[in-house]
Amino acid sequence: MQKLVIVEDDQTLREELGILLTNAGYEVYSIEEFAGVAKQLVKVNADLVLLDINLPGENGEAILQEFRKESETPVIMLTSRTGEMDEVLSMSYGADDYITKPYNPTILLLRISAVLKRGQKNIQVCKYKDVEVSTIKGTLTRGNSEQVLTKNEMLIFNLLLEHEGEIVSRDELMTTLWDNDEFLNDNALSVNISRLRNKLADLGVSEAIETRKKQGYRLR
Amino acid sequence: MTFGKFVRDRWLGFIVYVTVLIMIFIFCRAYRVLNQAIIIIELLYTAAFFVPFLWDYFRKKIFYDKLIAQIDGLDKKYLICEMMQEPSFYEGQVLCGILEEGNKSMAEHVAEYRKQSNDFREYIETWVHEVKIPVASMRLMCHNYPEIGEKVIEQLKLVDDDVNNVLFYARSENAHKDYMIKEVTLQKMFGNVAIANRVALQLMDASLKTEGLNQVVLTDNKWMEFILGQLMSNSMKYRSLDRPLEISVYAKKVENAIELHFMDNGIGIAAADISRVWDKTFTGENGRNGAKSTGMGLYIVKNLCIQLGHGIRIISEKGKYTDVVITFVNNDFYKM
Repeated sequence: MQKLVIVEDDQTLREELGILLTNAGYEVYSIEEFAGVAKQLVKVNADLVLLDINLPGENGEAILQEFRKESETPVIMLTSRTGEMDEVLSMSYGADDYITKPYNPTILLLRISAVLKRGQKNIQVCKYKDVEVSTIKGTLTRGNSEQVLTKNEMLIFNLLLEHEGEIVSRDELMTTLWDNDEFLNDNALSVNISRLRNKLADLGVSEAIETRKKQGYRLR
Repeated sequence: MTFGKFVRDRWLGFIVYVTVLIMIFIFCRAYRVLNQAIIIIELLYTAAFFVPFLWDYFRKKIFYDKLIAQIDGLDKKYLICEMMQEPSFYEGQVLCGILEEGNKSMAEHVAEYRKQSNDFREYIETWVHEVKIPVASMRLMCHNYPEIGEKVIEQLKLVDDDVNNVLFYARSENAHKDYMIKEVTLQKMFGNVAIANRVALQLMDASLKTEGLNQVVLTDNKWMEFILGQLMSNSMKYRSLDRPLEISVYAKKVENAIELHFMDNGIGIAAADISRVWDKTFTGENGRNGAKSTGMGLYIVKNLCIQLGHGIRIISEKGKYTDVVITFVNNDFYKM
């Protein structure tokens, strides 16, 4: 289980963030004492840090600077400030991403998993049962037969595969697609899902994607 | 300064002059002074009257004509005190002193207001950031406890939009230049705006089309996203109820610039209103008929564009479409 640290001085926000991340399957640690934050962060040794900029006492950017001297752990800055200057400054101090409040929780989770993935070795070919998935080529291969997926279908399939066996809501699918500049509407999503189903069926994997009414989809 | 008016201003002097002239003549006659002597006396008297008069006229004329020319040439007329040279005549010096004192007091007054306005703006900035924290908490609560419902998310989005309006209004009105120009792709900025409005767009079954957004422009990311957000919210607010909303966003190169078109198939703007849409608090026909508008959105947008150095114009046909065009001039001056 990957461990995240939250550095946020507003208690309610910290707790809700904690619930969100715990539900998403992360181990969460919160910093509640805002003196010597950088040292605490080093000690916790997490996989990713969520760092607020406006903190009592020390400023988040200063903490980041100090933390970077000791650790390469990815850091996402969370802030209510909406100035370009803060973002540029944070990025130059070594932040991995910068998200402004109030954040869309789905996007926040997407960004977190993206940053975490960046840290790992990039596995471009993964497998679903005996189907080989190549994101680079945009293909599904099973034995001798191959199916070419469109960008949208690939995005959908990858998200389902990441959460294999779990329900992925339409909202999550939509957010992922829109986050990749594919502005689909509801109908288009259904069309893409059914095309993806057909392609899987052509490979001999039928009924792989299950529809859960009012909840979403699940890759069996 | 004209001679006629200067003379008219000194009417009493002239009456006295003429009267004395006549009186000298009468007295001299009474004492049987020679005619030649009378003429000499009268001429001397005339000279004694006119020499200082003309001298006075010319030095004042020189001073005031120069001053008038200076104030005509000045863009900021209140700076005249700085330009003015100390006059050589007494009344001018008195006036100068008074002007300087008045000016100084005005400058103090203005400085006080500037400080107040700056304080207020800073307070607004802090306040906005404070408000965003509970909004963020509520947004997370909606996700953590789905039973709260999507309607709350929508309302929170409205709160956040309105809060941002205030923030950018404060920013646009102030001389503070807290933006940063750098190279950004249009795609990235539009993507952020689109995803922020995704739920609302989907609820009204809107479709988005984009083209050519991979181009790089010089702008401030955050400001531009606010501007695009405003245009997006206008398109949603003033959509036509007869057909589903279609928004088409495309960029194209024109000579030395990139034009970003933000076009929708909404109710459009009446021809009579179109020149005034940028005015503060102007709501027009659309504001009266349908959606509630404050008339601030486009005013702020225009202001931000001016500060960023982008051109903006609006083309529309009532009942058919609205196309807002933002022009990014490819300005090497910005590149660091």
